Amino acid sequence: MEKLPINCEQTQEQFSEWLSNQLPDGERAIMEAHLADCSACREDAESTRQLWQLMGKSTLPEPSAAARVRFQAMLDTYKDTMAVEKESVFETLLAKLRQLWTPQYAMRLVYSVALLAVGIAAGYWFQRSNAPTVAYQQQVDTLSRQVEQMRQMMMLSLLENPAASERLRAVSYTEEINEVDDKVIDALLTTLNNDSNVNVRLVTLEALAKLADNPKAREGLVQSIAQQDSPLVQSALADVMVKLQEKRSIKPLRQLLRDDNLNHMVKGKIEQSIRELS
Amino acid sequence: MLQVKAGNLDTMGLLFERYHRPLFGFLFHMTNQREASEDMLQTVFYRMLKYRHTFTGDGEFRSWMYHLARNVLVDHSKQNKQSSQQYDLADVAERISGGPMADERFQKEQELDTLNRAMAKLSPDNREVLVLSRYQELKYEEIARVLNTTEGAIKVRVHRAMAELKKIYLTLENGKTAYKL
Repeated sequence: MEKLPINCEQTQEQFSEWLSNQLPDGERAIMEAHLADCSACREDAESTRQLWQLMGKSTLPEPSAAARVRFQAMLDTYKDTMAVEKESVFETLLAKLRQLWTPQYAMRLVYSVALLAVGIAAGYWFQRSNAPTVAYQQQVDTLSRQVEQMRQMMMLSLLENPAASERLRAVSYTEEINEVDDKVIDALLTTLNNDSNVNVRLVTLEALAKLADNPKAREGLVQSIAQQDSPLVQSALADVMVKLQEKRSIKPLRQLLRDDNLNHMVKGKIEQSIRELS
Repeated sequence: MLQVKAGNLDTMGLLFERYHRPLFGFLFHMTNQREASEDMLQTVFYRMLKYRHTFTGDGEFRSWMYHLARNVLVDHSKQNKQSSQQYDLADVAERISGGPMADERFQKEQELDTLNRAMAKLSPDNREVLVLSRYQELKYEEIARVLNTTEGAIKVRVHRAMAELKKIYLTLENGKTAYKL
């Protein structure tokens, strides 16, 4: 074997390999050749070898005999748990179900089922009781009719209230009454012609103008022209007549023009209305 | 071990017979604590059972075993950080006092005592490679597998650890002689 150059450092690095017999034969020969030449390395190698051998002599306390017993016990318990686990996947499931099926739970189950049944029954019953809706609707209709009658009565009585504000409120109620009968129109016309308060008369005029589809209300309005003395109500009436295109109002309006007390502004207004109507 | 993995747990007893001694040696050399090593020995075998599905059969069983043992050691040193590096004097005393005390024998015991103290002074990493290579007589290749590194790296580490051990050993030896004088 050719001797390859090898330095001390490399040699020392191989000591443990050399000592543990892991050095390949070739390298081993080279190293031993180096040791033969180099006394420093030889000493170093020797001391390392001694230490290495000392380590080899190092006695170990034996693991106690109890270790084997403990291991066996551990293995047995482990095997037991494994066996239990394996065979009883199904059984544990059953056992759990059985656990659940205690009288207590059974009672709870029965209770909740009963509650559910009651709920369903109630829902079904309500559903069925909804069927006679016609009767129900009739009831509602009667009720609303009654309410309207109440309103009408209240309005009529309110119209006779001494306070103007209450009478104003009464007039405003007419808007909420769907079917206005003659009694109401009479009351309104009376108010329009006789009420002492101009504001009440104006509001009443407005309400009656909305009811102008009713022939009685319309006629009453026309006749009312001759009876008004307030310039405000007169001009408002003239406006309503123009709006309604009521030709019958021309005659009472012309009569009004002949009145000497007529406000000259109202006069102009009425003349214009007559022109628009004719 | 493959048999164990397949469910034949009785073969585990065979493995115990074959490996519990070297394994105990490893644990003891790493900790110098007899009681703890006994406990850890059981723990390692328990983990073999519990984690048997992680044994692939690729590497050798021994490497896998040392893997588990190292993890147990890590857990152990975490649990008692203060005492883990303590040198268990009682165990040493036990080792020294066995048998008739011939002079030569006594000297050897003293040397060994020094060696053990030197080993205890090594860093855990260095101690580990020495324990594995010298006491457990694992080949570098195998150590590399256990420690998840290359054979070259192990070679370097063993060399460094050996040098370190020698230094500590000699210091201890000299210190003792100086004290004697």
